[in-house]
Amino acid sequence: MLEITDLTVAYGGVVALDGVSVTVAEGTITTVIGANGAGKTTLVRTISGLLKPLRGSVRVGGTDLTGRAPEAIARLGVAHVPEGHGIISEITVDENLRLGGLWRRDRADKQLAIEEAYELFPPLLTRRHLRAASLSGGERQMLSIGRALASRPHVLLLDEPSLGLHAAVLVQIMDRLRTLTRERRLAVLLIEQNARSALSVADDAVVLSLGRVVARDRAARLAGDDALRHAYLGF
Amino acid sequence: MRTFLILTVDGVTNGFVYAVVALALVMIWRATRVVNYAQGAMAMFTTYIALFAITHGVTYWLAFVIALGAGFLIGAGVERVLVRPVESRPPLNVVILTLGLLIFLEALAPMLFGGQVKSFPAPFSRNDLTIGTTQLYVSPFDIFVVGAVLLTMVALLLFFQRTTIGLRMRAAAFGPEIARLLGVRVGRMLALGWGLAALLGAMAGLLIAPAIFLYPNNMDEILVFGFTGAVLGGLDSPVGAVVGALLVGLGLSYVGGYAGSDLETMGGLIILIAVLMVRPQGLFAARRQREA
Repeated sequence: MLEITDLTVAYGGVVALDGVSVTVAEGTITTVIGANGAGKTTLVRTISGLLKPLRGSVRVGGTDLTGRAPEAIARLGVAHVPEGHGIISEITVDENLRLGGLWRRDRADKQLAIEEAYELFPPLLTRRHLRAASLSGGERQMLSIGRALASRPHVLLLDEPSLGLHAAVLVQIMDRLRTLTRERRLAVLLIEQNARSALSVADDAVVLSLGRVVARDRAARLAGDDALRHAYLGF
Repeated sequence: MRTFLILTVDGVTNGFVYAVVALALVMIWRATRVVNYAQGAMAMFTTYIALFAITHGVTYWLAFVIALGAGFLIGAGVERVLVRPVESRPPLNVVILTLGLLIFLEALAPMLFGGQVKSFPAPFSRNDLTIGTTQLYVSPFDIFVVGAVLLTMVALLLFFQRTTIGLRMRAAAFGPEIARLLGVRVGRMLALGWGLAALLGAMAGLLIAPAIFLYPNNMDEILVFGFTGAVLGGLDSPVGAVVGALLVGLGLSYVGGYAGSDLETMGGLIILIAVLMVRPQGLFAARRQREA
């Protein structure tokens, strides 16, 4: 579903991603793990069009996304949940949710998608008419993921969803993510610094270090590779 | 008492016009984080367009609509053609650009329409109403001004709160990058915002011109008063801008009436300086500024 080939990105001469290739199949989660500065966020920002690559391509279901504007990429079914939740705190919870998939024509299904988001994350329902600024960290993450899902995406990009969350909330959200991925045939790219949690939920894993892919395998197998864990993941 | 009533009615009527200018400034401030110093000059220009239409046989109301439409196109055009190329640069670049536009429009207007002071028609009588023998100190035109502004404010509120375009515009203003990731065409929303702001400006120009006459820099003071009102309200809040502008209108009317009309502009300046010194965040506990 999501095919990243030989992606190379530089910030003013400094190479942040160097020939990275990752493929995510429908209905599966691939996690990209690695230390700070490994290029994880650069990778998702390039996929969603916020950064332009020097070389390489991003394809979704055969459509080439490379060089398109972020708003066009979003409309092609790539939902990006940015680092730090990415909610708009000045508007209400409900308005934030309605922004998910606002371009879609099917009004009835848009309404249904929003109701599904409330069912998925009930804490949002009681706060629906409050400003998003009033939400806790976990609720913000629910809102951000709920909003991404409300756009009925094919590809879901999650950048550090564990950041600032209590372990219990994180486990809950990851559980739901796993079920949803299967049910809705999503291709999920999960960026994480918290490798332990990411490896427990993902099917496949890619380890980035200084902009290069240094290892890739089934997530379960990577989690069991002691040498690799010590070298790159720090646990 | 009589003087006080006259000054109060005057102050409220003018305040409503300043409020429209203040709202236009707030709208652009929220979307682009710049103050559009050409807001007044753009309004002057569209008032000339209206007068040009009227002198060529067009009715007042059609000319009114033409001026608002022209304002929208000029505003959206300015954003697309002039502001967008410098958008990613420091905000000061855009501010200087709007100053340049102000000078350009004030030079262009006399070339196209003549530089002399012209009177501008009002659609209703500007003489005070009387009931029996009691004078009311309110003219039908005053009522029209206040009514038109109130109607516009309600329409704007409904537009921003109740329509999806309004939601998109707010998202684009508060979180441009997040909005783009959600498929909002932020560039279009900015152009739309500038267009709407210039439409509001055009309306203010039309409503104030019968009282202040029409000449190439007739809106300079009005811009300063509107800006003072917007700053009074915290620059970020539409409600604050309206209340601030009404206070400015009333304050200036009293200063002009009791202390001499020469002091009116000075009064505006003094209010602005006082607010900036005592409460730079505005009278309303404005929200902290968003980080970029």
